[in-house]
Amino acid sequence: MRRLFDRAFTLLVVSAGLLALMLFVAIAGYLAWRGLGAVDLDFLTQPSRGAGAEGGVRYQLLGTLILIATALAAAVPPALGIGIYRGVYLTRPQARRRVSLLLFVANGVPSILYGIFGLAVFGQLLGWGKSWLAGGLLLGMMILPTLTLAFAERVDAIPKKYLEAAAGLGLRRAQIVRAVILPQSLGGLVSGALLGLARAAGETAPILFIAAVFSGATVPHGIVESPVLALPYHIFVLAQDSFQPEAETHLWAAAAVLLGVVLVFALVALPLRIRLHEEAHHG
Amino acid sequence: MIPARPARRSLTRWFCLAVSGLTALAFAGMVALFAFESLPVWRHAGFEYLRGHQWFFRAQRFGALPMVYGTLAVSALALLLAAPVGLGSAVFVAEILPARLRLPAKTAIELLAGIPSVVYGLLGVLLLRGWMLRVLAPFEPLSGDTLATGGVLLAVMILPTVVTLGDDALRGVARSQRQAARALGLTRAETIVRVSLPQALPGLVAALLLALGRALGETIAVFLVIGRQDNQWPEHLLSPASLAAAGQTLTTKLGGSETHIAYGDPLHWAAMVALALVLAILVASVTLAGTWLGRPRLAGAASANLPSPAGGDPGDPHA
Repeated sequence: MRRLFDRAFTLLVVSAGLLALMLFVAIAGYLAWRGLGAVDLDFLTQPSRGAGAEGGVRYQLLGTLILIATALAAAVPPALGIGIYRGVYLTRPQARRRVSLLLFVANGVPSILYGIFGLAVFGQLLGWGKSWLAGGLLLGMMILPTLTLAFAERVDAIPKKYLEAAAGLGLRRAQIVRAVILPQSLGGLVSGALLGLARAAGETAPILFIAAVFSGATVPHGIVESPVLALPYHIFVLAQDSFQPEAETHLWAAAAVLLGVVLVFALVALPLRIRLHEEAHHG
Repeated sequence: MIPARPARRSLTRWFCLAVSGLTALAFAGMVALFAFESLPVWRHAGFEYLRGHQWFFRAQRFGALPMVYGTLAVSALALLLAAPVGLGSAVFVAEILPARLRLPAKTAIELLAGIPSVVYGLLGVLLLRGWMLRVLAPFEPLSGDTLATGGVLLAVMILPTVVTLGDDALRGVARSQRQAARALGLTRAETIVRVSLPQALPGLVAALLLALGRALGETIAVFLVIGRQDNQWPEHLLSPASLAAAGQTLTTKLGGSETHIAYGDPLHWAAMVALALVLAILVASVTLAGTWLGRPRLAGAASANLPSPAGGDPGDPHA
């Protein structure tokens, strides 16, 4: 009886685990099978034609790169600042925990709320119309908690003796930050940034109202009324149409390219991040 | 924390304070804006806004209950499906998988969280929708766009959160406890059921709550498969038949074209922003509850959606 229970339990748990593990392989494999056949250099470098469902994704790809570069530029300085302030200048553990809690809640904010917030601020208040900068800033705000938490976790993991040694040498706090804390914790910031980029590249909701258009934009000039095309938005719009078979191929190809962009960032970041995390928490 | 000489004027400190303040201002501003810009509809409809079943903006009738119901129904179904598979996988990864396979396995599961929601949406439109139409045939749905379709899609999307946080909770149980149980002659399954799971329970519940928070706020994938039918109020709440019908959630309403229509009309805009406020409060409460419950063991996921809490855990025997 006990052996039977042991067997049955193990079998159940193993099948649940294998199912979860298979899901990613299945989804990525299916996308590659349906989409990769149509992805070549032309697809990546030609602008789209027709109703948007033919040709390549040149400007969608460019727009997405512009958006995520802006998001990164907007998110890194505050992530550094908050992480250092929390780890160095906040001396009470309670205060630090409170900052972490706030970052958690901020990290859980649904992405559509950034879209609505952006429409109110950049649209109504500033009158920017649709602008790549608005989209980049919103995406930056969205990934900021991810970056900050990843960075702060590494700051917390710096061995105390390093800090004591630096203090013993008579360094001031700001000097310790530059000489010890930053070099020791940049790995956390980098892995957090890569995960943030992966997330920003795939998000549609924040750029829905305020940054992305389906067609008619190339390279943005200026800020006001200068939208971009973007890969996720492109797929989002096409997926809502009832389309012809050729469009379906285009759609799968675009999705395969988007997943490729995301995976490039995620595959570099995840093993590093998981290892650092396990070292920090489960030694 | 650092026993260093204090400095009066430090550029580093000034910079840190400035960007922290700006960030706090941005997020506080978001909440304040939702509260402030939704005021007209609270004045117009009062509590009726949360209790009303009907939303006809041309008649200036704003009842948000069907959207709240849609959000809760879709998320509940997602959690119901993701919980057994997710917790089972967490046990598999934490207790059964050999150590050298952990990293690849966790990476594969976290990659699932990295797939953009619009890609899930596309899979939903081109694959799941037709499949659900066949599965739900006994309930005679009008199309494959149903609450249930959204729930199934969401279940896959929140699965990595359950697995990763559940794994962390299980790994937080001291190794000596397991060894003691095994030494007493308990089998592996008995050790897991009698020792690991009970001790990790708060963390496991926290994992489910944080996954729920993700489900409540997901927009794009659900948007593409839910049918976005306004004013759906079923006779029997959460009955299978009612889940086999199209519906609307808070997020799909916000992501739709009505947001653009509402833009020019202060009352209509307020009604839309109030949906955002309700969603924000809902998600924030669930996230807070999950984080509180999971503290301090909730060591956190490595995923972009749920990074680890940065706080070190002084009570962790493994730290």
